[in-house]
Order: sequence, then structure tokens, then C-alpha cells
Amino acid sequence: MESLKLPATGRTPEVDFDFAQGVLRLSGESYPDDVATFFGPIFAALRGFLAEPGGHPVRFDMELLYFNSSSAKALMNIFQMLETAARDGRSISVTWCYEENDESMQELGEDFAEDLHHVAFTLKQIPADGAS
Amino acid sequence: MTFNLFAAEEQAIEQARLLGERLGAAAPDLRAEFDALVEAFQRSTREQRRLVRVSDRLQAQLGSANQELERRRQEAESALADLREAQEAMVRAEKLASLGALVAGVAHEINTPVGIAVSCASHLSDATARLRGRAQSGELSKADFSRYLTTATDTTALILTNCERAAKLIASFKQVAVDRASAERRAVHLNRYIQETLVSLEPKLRQSRHGITVSCPDGLVVDSYPGALSQILTNFVMNSVTHAFVDAQGAEGQGGALTVTVDEPEPGTVRLVYTDNGRGIPPDHLPRIFDPFFTTRRGEGGSGLGLHIVHNLAVGALKGTISVDSAPGQGTRFVLTFPKDTPPEDGAA
Ligand SMILES: Nc1ncnc2c1ncn2[C@@H]1O[C@H](COP(=O)(O)OP(=O)(O)OP(=O)(O)O)[C@@H](O)[C@H]1O
Ligand SMILES: [Mg+2]
Repeated sequence: MESLKLPATGRTPEVDFDFAQGVLRLSGESYPDDVATFFGPIFAALRGFLAEPGGHPVRFDMELLYFNSSSAKALMNIFQMLETAARDGRSISVTWCYEENDESMQELGEDFAEDLHHVAFTLKQIPADGAS
Repeated sequence: MTFNLFAAEEQAIEQARLLGERLGAAAPDLRAEFDALVEAFQRSTREQRRLVRVSDRLQAQLGSANQELERRRQEAESALADLREAQEAMVRAEKLASLGALVAGVAHEINTPVGIAVSCASHLSDATARLRGRAQSGELSKADFSRYLTTATDTTALILTNCERAAKLIASFKQVAVDRASAERRAVHLNRYIQETLVSLEPKLRQSRHGITVSCPDGLVVDSYPGALSQILTNFVMNSVTHAFVDAQGAEGQGGALTVTVDEPEPGTVRLVYTDNGRGIPPDHLPRIFDPFFTTRRGEGGSGLGLHIVHNLAVGALKGTISVDSAPGQGTRFVLTFPKDTPPEDGAA
């Protein structure tokens, strides 16, 4: 399945879904003008990828440092899709990155992990100011 | 009792759980579907909690961004205030410096007539001593006496004209200096006042052999701030001398023609047109020449405040307008228009 790569814009994050390698990454800031337009294709691609037979391991790197409420809800939906796939037997890991000193982001990560039982969830501290 | 934002949701979930148990007994085939609904509601409540946290975090970020913005705004404002203060200080320093240059110029100019008067006086004194000697020794001839009379007539005439010239210089200098220092409002005979101002610039002009022509209606009297006028004119002339006639090597050139033409385009309005026939100002410099610190001679004595001060005086003190018209090789022309009688300050008592 073809990769999904979108460069970051002022309001949307960089999307780098390398389906062949099973490495999916969202990074940057996310407060799109229109959630449906931005996340619609992402969900479609992800849904297609998870439905494919084969089921090799998936890694999802969540490197958003700033996101609005709609993006947060979209993220929860993505996590739910991953959780369902993991429950069905696929090996899935999620890494939640937060900048050092950003405690509220770390706590959010813990909150977001609450519904993940089959997904392997890790929190990862990265240096402040971008240099990840 | 601890406060719980989601107490109502938790209570509903608890009720649903109890209902599930009763349903399990009454209609066991519906139980699984019902439990899935309860589970979905539970998850939705957890998501709601997370969304509340996300939005709280966003609000907090917005708050600190606003504080940061306010802090930067204050920093920028105080930097601007510092800059204004520094600029005013430089403007004051520039005024003092131009006064200093004026003093030096006038001192040089007064030196000449005073020197001539002194040597004439000493010549006369020598001739008088000789005459007295001859008279005392009874050797005074008619020819001696008439030679002495010629000498006395010539020297006293020279002494008189040179002393008058010195007195005139001192008077005009006093006028300009006082006007500059006190920026006093008063009525002046414009033509005479322009001439007086130019007297103090004569050494500069003569040195570089520039000629200046003044044309001003003779009866024109303005009730304004003559100090400002004289400073404006001085700046025009000094700029022509330093910028307009420089050659390719940057040396001040010679033999330019400067004009000052005054008329009354309509009753109550005075228009002063100043021109030089020098090298003119390039179009990309033209919009900036009145800006403070714009100069093409930085490092060679130019501070770039001259025309800024001119602009401030024209608009501020004289309540008039100033414009420039120039092109490379076409000379430069400034038009200063101002009310003949400066209107009083707005709201001034
Ligand atoms: N008559 C002129 N002919 C050609 N260029 C001129 C003339 N008058 C002004 N300029 C240009 O405008 C610039 C600004 O003039 P301004 O009097 O403000 O500053 P300055 O003469 O360079 O320095 P300062 O007057 O502070 O010693 C000059 O540097 C020069 O390039
Ligand atoms: Mg100047």
C-alpha cells in the first residue's frame, strides 16, 4: 500500500505514514481550519491499511506538540482504531512524545493511554524547542 | 465530599449497569448489546474528560502567549521611547553644533574688517606722531601738513567702513543667534532678514565661489519665527555647499548658482523657493532625505539630521509645508510655504 506523506503547513502537522514499513508519524502542530478535510484522507488511508491482510507490526509516533480539541478527538479515534486492530491480534505500539518541562502534555499522554489495553504505549521525553 | 465534574455521567453509568443486570435476567439475549452501549457511553465520558483537559491546556497556553505578547509590547514601547529620547538629544546637539559653526564663521568674517581697521588706525597714529614731532621742532611744512590730511582722510574712511561692516556683522549674528536660541516669535522684514542670515554664510560661499541671488518683495513683513527660517535657509545653503557640487572625487566643487525667491502666491501665504544648479538627488534617495539620520556622507561629518530639522521647523514652528523637487543633473529645488502670520498654537491660552 502506498505511503501517505503530507508536508506541514501553518496549521496542519507533517504526516508521514510509511505503510510498507509499518511506521506512522504525526509531528508538529495541528489546528486545521477544517478537520474533516484534513483528517478525512488520513482516516481513509489508515482504515484501508489496517484492513489489509498480512498484519505485520505497526508503530505510531505521536509527535504533535500543539493541537486543538478537534485534533485531540481525531487522535482518540485513531487510537481507538489501533486498539481494535491490536485486540484482533496485530502487534501495535504507540509512542507519545512530549517536550521536557511540558508536564501537562505528559499527563495528557497518560490520559490518552487510558483506553489502550492491547496497544503497547510509551511516553517519550524529547528536548524542548523542536530538536527531536 | 469531593467535587466531581462528571458526577452525573458516573451516576448514569451506575444506573445503566444496574439496568443491565435486570435486563440480563429479563432478556438475556439483549445483554451483550446493551453492555456494548454502556461501554461506548463510558468511553465517550472518558474522551470528554480528555477533551476538557486539552481545551484547558490550550486556554493556559493562550494566556501565557498573551502575557508574553504584552511583555514584548511593553519592551517595544520602552525601546521606542528610548529611541525618541536619543533622537531628540541628537537634534538638540545638532542645533548646538550648527550654532557653533555659525560662531566660527562669523568670528572669521569679523576678523577681516577689524584687522583692516586696526592697521589703518596704527598707520594714522604713526603719521600723527610724526606730524606732532615736526610741529614741536618747528619744522612743519605746508606740504607735510597736506600729505598728513590725505593720509588721515583715507585711513579714517577705511576705519569707518570696516568698523561699520564689523558692527553690521555683529548685529546680524546677534539676531540670528538670539532667534536660534530662543525661537522667539516676532515680526520681521523678510528681505532684510534673509540678507542678514546670508551674511553669516558668506565666508563659506565666497570660499567656494558660489553665487547666491535673492529675490524677495521689499515690503513683505512676516509675523513668525524668524529663527526657524534662518535655520532652514542655513541648512539649504550648507547642503548645497556640501552635497550639490561635489565632484567625482568627493571634493566640494565651485561656482554654483543658488537662488532664493520669495513671493505671495495668495494673500497671507508666503512661498520661499530655494534652488541650486548642482548634481541633484537620485530618485531612490528623494523620498528619504527628510528622514532623520538619512545621509550620503556618513563618516564624513553628515549626521542626516539637517533636513529632518528643516522639516520639523517648517511643519512645526512655521505651520507650513515643505517639498523637494530634484533629479540627477537637474539641480535641486525646495519649496517652503508658510502662513505670513503664524496662527497661534491650538488651544494655547
Ligand atoms: N542640495 C542638495 N543637493 C544634493 N543632495 C542633497 C542636497 N541636499 C540634501 N541632499 C542629500 O540629502 C541628504 C540628507 O541631507 P541632510 O541635510 O538631512 O543630512 P546631511 O547634510 O547629510 O547631514 P547633516 O546636515 O546632518 O550634517 C544628504 O546626505 C544628501 O545626500
Ligand atoms: Mg545637511
